Amino acid sequence: MVGRDRFDILTFSCLLGCVLILGLLLLGGQESKSSVAAIDKALEQQIAYQARVNFLQNLYRPVEDLRLKGQASAALLKLDELARKYPQEAHGEILRGEILLERDAVKQAIDHFVRAVRLNGDYVDQANPLTRRNEIQHLVDTQLPLFTRRARSNPQSQPLQKTLTGLYYLQSRLAGGCE
Amino acid sequence: MKSFLIRLLPFATLFLLLLLSACQPEGTRPKMRIGYMNCNSEGETLKRFRPLTRYLSQQLGVDFEVVPVDTQDFPERFAAGEFEFTHTNSLVYLILHEENQVQLLATEKRGRYGTHTSGSIISRKGSGIKTLDDLKDKRMIFGPQLAPSGFLAQYDIMLRAGIDPEIDIAYYAIPSGSFKHEKVVYGVYFGQFDVGAAPSLDLELMVGEGRIQADDFNIIAESPIIPYCTFGARKDLDPQLVEKFRLALVNLTKGDRVTFDGENLKVLASAWVDGYETLADSDYDQLRVMARRANMPPYQEF
Repeated sequence: MVGRDRFDILTFSCLLGCVLILGLLLLGGQESKSSVAAIDKALEQQIAYQARVNFLQNLYRPVEDLRLKGQASAALLKLDELARKYPQEAHGEILRGEILLERDAVKQAIDHFVRAVRLNGDYVDQANPLTRRNEIQHLVDTQLPLFTRRARSNPQSQPLQKTLTGLYYLQSRLAGGCE
Repeated sequence: MKSFLIRLLPFATLFLLLLLSACQPEGTRPKMRIGYMNCNSEGETLKRFRPLTRYLSQQLGVDFEVVPVDTQDFPERFAAGEFEFTHTNSLVYLILHEENQVQLLATEKRGRYGTHTSGSIISRKGSGIKTLDDLKDKRMIFGPQLAPSGFLAQYDIMLRAGIDPEIDIAYYAIPSGSFKHEKVVYGVYFGQFDVGAAPSLDLELMVGEGRIQADDFNIIAESPIIPYCTFGARKDLDPQLVEKFRLALVNLTKGDRVTFDGENLKVLASAWVDGYETLADSDYDQLRVMARRANMPPYQEF
């Protein structure tokens, strides 16, 4: 066995160095590929969400138009029609809650806000384009003391308890999670 | 163990006998009558409320009889003592409360406003009748006179807008026979009348069933919300029985069932009701204001 001379050692070191550099380059390439993929996915999600927001705004525009004209009853009937086609759509529940609140049907309005937030938490997210956080906060702030008093003076009433439970639910969703 | 069971047998038998004697069979229990105001027709009233009445009989240990009553005859027949409990629209409840001190028990929940409802004035889409100002000199169809959301609410809307229905419109009619509210809606839909006084609940139900479309009509105006159909009790009844009656109603859930005519029925669904709730008599004040303004019973002055 011939002993390794300096040239051999140098050659072997260069080879090892090349392999290492190649490996690092390959790894770096994969990382940048995955980060590009991540950016693509986030973008896709954002585009899909924006499309959903636009779709909802277009879908419920006739309802909003009727509301602006002060035609609450016609707006509610339009919502009934849309609910047959999109029964689990939270946006319809939100709009229904808002209109019923304007019509002084407070208990029913609370039921619909609860249903909407259960279906889609975006409505209590301040940063969301669909947010109704301020409206829901105002609803809780004004109605919770009233319904608490009414429920205390009439502890047997199940409908009052149901409404109060709904208000507590909205309150806890506004407060956010426990982390 | 065997001897213990043998010793327990007489006690168990006695307990069973006591239990059986507590459940009086139908026919041997006290009898009472519930007057149900006909909403659309007598047949419909019987079909809707017999299962609920059977359920109440079971819950209270009283044999309740269903008495279908025409709206116009209701106050008179109640005053004559023909029934102990009442189920009427909210305006007839006001009349019974003012004239006979009927006690408020529970209010029915149905439709989007729950225990409340409202009245709408409608015209056909494309008719050009879009505002209350357009109502002058038009042909209008109302529901029956004692209907809070089919007559009073719309009459009141018009008075508040400075339109006297007796003077300012060409003429108005009230459909004859049963299903008057639907006749109002279809009367406008098919162009027999220019405008109609439709209960918002009927519009909601008809749209829900696909019989009409929301876009078929202009909703020119809608009244404030007022209480819906109401159970009441004669003032001199046993307070414990009245409270049991009230609790049986407000505790009803969508899953409660009753056997009627060989069928096992859901009580609330068979009565077309979402539930019952006890309101305060003051919740009827909005209706009182409307009845006073429209010079209608129980505040009518000649």
